[in-house]
Amino acid sequence: MMAKPKVAFFDFTCCEGCQIEFTNYGDAAFLELLKHVDVVEFREAMSEKTKDPIDIAFIEGSFSREADRPRLEDIRKRAKIVIAYGQCATTGGVNALKNHTKDYKQFVYQKDAAMPHLDSQKAVGVDQAIKVDYYAWGCPVNKYEVLQIVSHLLHGKEPVIPNYPVCVECKRRETICRYDVGDYCLGQTARAGCGAPCPADGIPCEACRGFVDQPNQDALVKVLSKRAGMPWGWAEGKSRMFTANQRGDAA
Amino acid sequence: MPAPTPCRCATPSPDQDQKENIFLPREANIIRVEKTTEMERILTLRLADGSQMKFEPGQILEVGLMGYGEIPIGLASSPTRTNTFDIVVRSVGRVSQAINTLGKGDTLLIRGPWGHGFPLENLRGHDLLIIAGGIGLCPTRSLIQYALDRRQEFKRFSLFYGARDPQQQLFTADLADWRKSKDVDYHETVDKSDPTWKGNVGVITTLFSKTKIDPGTRVVICGPPIMFKFVIREIDKLGIPHQNVFVDLERRMKCGVGKCGHCQMNDKYVCTDGPVFAFSEIERLEEAI
Amino acid sequence: MSSHFIKESDFAAFLAGLIKEKKVVGPVAKTSRQQEKFVFAQLERGEDLRLDYDVTILPPKKEFFPTQQDLVRFDGPRREGCVTPEEKVLFGVHFYDVKALDMTDLLFQERNDDRNYTARREAATVVISNIQKVSPRAFWSSIGAEIQPQGHDAWLSRIAGGYVLEPRTPKGAALLRFGKFATATPAQIAAARQANDAVAAQCPERLQGTSESNARKVRAAFGQEELWTKLAEDCFSCGSCNTVCPTCYCFDVQDWWNVDQKSGARTRYWDSCLTEDFAKISLGAGATENFRESRGERFRHRFMRKAAYLNEKLGGPACVGCGRCSAACTADIADPTAVINNIPEA
Repeated sequence: MMAKPKVAFFDFTCCEGCQIEFTNYGDAAFLELLKHVDVVEFREAMSEKTKDPIDIAFIEGSFSREADRPRLEDIRKRAKIVIAYGQCATTGGVNALKNHTKDYKQFVYQKDAAMPHLDSQKAVGVDQAIKVDYYAWGCPVNKYEVLQIVSHLLHGKEPVIPNYPVCVECKRRETICRYDVGDYCLGQTARAGCGAPCPADGIPCEACRGFVDQPNQDALVKVLSKRAGMPWGWAEGKSRMFTANQRGDAA
Repeated sequence: MPAPTPCRCATPSPDQDQKENIFLPREANIIRVEKTTEMERILTLRLADGSQMKFEPGQILEVGLMGYGEIPIGLASSPTRTNTFDIVVRSVGRVSQAINTLGKGDTLLIRGPWGHGFPLENLRGHDLLIIAGGIGLCPTRSLIQYALDRRQEFKRFSLFYGARDPQQQLFTADLADWRKSKDVDYHETVDKSDPTWKGNVGVITTLFSKTKIDPGTRVVICGPPIMFKFVIREIDKLGIPHQNVFVDLERRMKCGVGKCGHCQMNDKYVCTDGPVFAFSEIERLEEAI
Repeated sequence: MSSHFIKESDFAAFLAGLIKEKKVVGPVAKTSRQQEKFVFAQLERGEDLRLDYDVTILPPKKEFFPTQQDLVRFDGPRREGCVTPEEKVLFGVHFYDVKALDMTDLLFQERNDDRNYTARREAATVVISNIQKVSPRAFWSSIGAEIQPQGHDAWLSRIAGGYVLEPRTPKGAALLRFGKFATATPAQIAAARQANDAVAAQCPERLQGTSESNARKVRAAFGQEELWTKLAEDCFSCGSCNTVCPTCYCFDVQDWWNVDQKSGARTRYWDSCLTEDFAKISLGAGATENFRESRGERFRHRFMRKAAYLNEKLGGPACVGCGRCSAACTADIADPTAVINNIPEA
């Protein structure tokens, strides 16, 4: 087993919510975890920073400014293992929603739109700037899955990340299908691993972990239109929230 | 995989069916390690309780480590050899990579042997031709050793072995023996030569012209799926009936005991109905070859 | 064994007595936006039992083959198996689900007895309930109708004024002491038979042909790649049809560690041959081989398994007509009647 690896968290364009998830294990599990990893940089919970080599770097946030590239490259150089942590880092996440629009700056920042620090380019996953070893999907990440990823890496084992859709997990827990109650859902194309909490709570899956490797996007549009009664144009764009860079029409 | 909650099994419950539990592995110790290529290592194992493992050439073992998982591996040595057994582990996935970090003296967990091996009763008393391509040499080595150890049980014994290039050749010490041996009519080839190679170059079917094969010969084939098609064509030219041709198949075996469904092709479970099948039994099965 | 009658007014006391002494699992309601669906769950109170259910989301197979089940637990070098039979009464199972249990009983037992399933199964008492409401996609009256359900201990039928219980085994007869049962009259027995027979005519869907002719034509269609590609055009490879199927029994096995990093388990999870990675193997250096690469191949494999591959072993198709797959498929392409009826006779 890896001897107490140095673990660090870094953030780019994101809300830092995935990092907050890492503090949500509860005291017992978190303190147990700290016996096995040495957290050397994690601004949600500590003020120390590091310039030293790292064993596992968790990178949160999308790559949306060229100016961030040197910092990403520096992390890559120092880290043995880089994990794209959360949906922004894996695919660009919700940030990528702007990629197919032109007026987002005006729309979001209004009178401040021209301020130079608000400049950004297309939002993409951090693997568009550096090599990423593993992906922790989700908005936010599933903290138990992250625990398994860390656990597997501690033992030198490649993490097990599902490539089947959320439907599998809904069925396993006997959740009533959203389509059966007249709702829509993106679970048929969405990557599982979350345990399907949203449909179980009566909320459609929005595919916050992105698509499975081979999503049947055409069938999704058909079903959204036919079963959920969505107007065709709406159905076509529906999955974009978390999959803007994975869709067939990615900008 | 749904996220497991931490510390779920703090107090494991007692097992009421320990002995009958087909998923409970037993320990085997690694007594010898040989790195045979960049990707593969030969491990010689012995059951930790010192007993001799009963198996047939061609059977499979589930080999693994707790926390990492299990993989199916064909036994690569003959039951006629001492109380050890060999497996070849190719570093391709989580489990094989973890196993290949272990060394002499370490412990592996095994289940099995499972499945149907080579049909010795059908092979005995006949000419035997074994055709092995690539890592297909590993499971067939159990039969090759067996045939050499019980040479009198077989008539003429021919062996064809094809590797991608000389660096990919497995069991090089055995190959050196077989080249010299009078007990086996051994022929080998590589798809791609290098400056060190003095032997045949070309696909495995080119070896058929090197020796004489009688139509009454029993044939055993193991290799990549693409190889089967071309080898069978040669077999047909020789007029060997398909019930005398045995193939050792590879699928995604997972549980090893004919339950989990991953290795299923048609109505057969490769791990339990095979991995060795008479070609006549599967040639018309969809998805088999 | 003789049949027994219990009055409607005595039924609640019977259930209450049973629940007090035994773990009882039966169909209960689950709702979302006023839509009512049913699941098998442990009964806390007799009132929760809904014998008027049409079909449950998952079949009762989950009681013996849970969706997630530890096979081996470990703590450092210590290991133990997890065969943990638990006595329970599975109450109110429809006969088609018992036919499916007969299949999984055979498949888990044959050759290498999987005690993780069979020990749980042996510890259960299974009570069939007559079907009071037919699910909208059911076709159990027209598939494998020649095969009778075996693995049950008693059969309960609702008739006017009460229920007729027909014990089939000593375990089933042992239930009688929990309620005020009287020997059923010939009229009550006839009414029970009538209740079971009459409902068959209500199946909304119908599979044509015989088990043999369907097996033949489905198998003969194997090579028609265009057909399967077309049928699977809208398939999400989501595995819903497999996951809700009472006769599917494939599983994946994964190992994991607890947060202490030295204890953990080897766990099996229900798996689905429709999903992309089911038959994929790793060849090293990132290369893979998938023995059923395309959606069409995987879709075809399911139909081969349901209609043809296992027939010899099971004595009929590996489908009992519950209609769960038809209802679970959001693209509505999984319905065995729609698919098989439209394959021309070989």
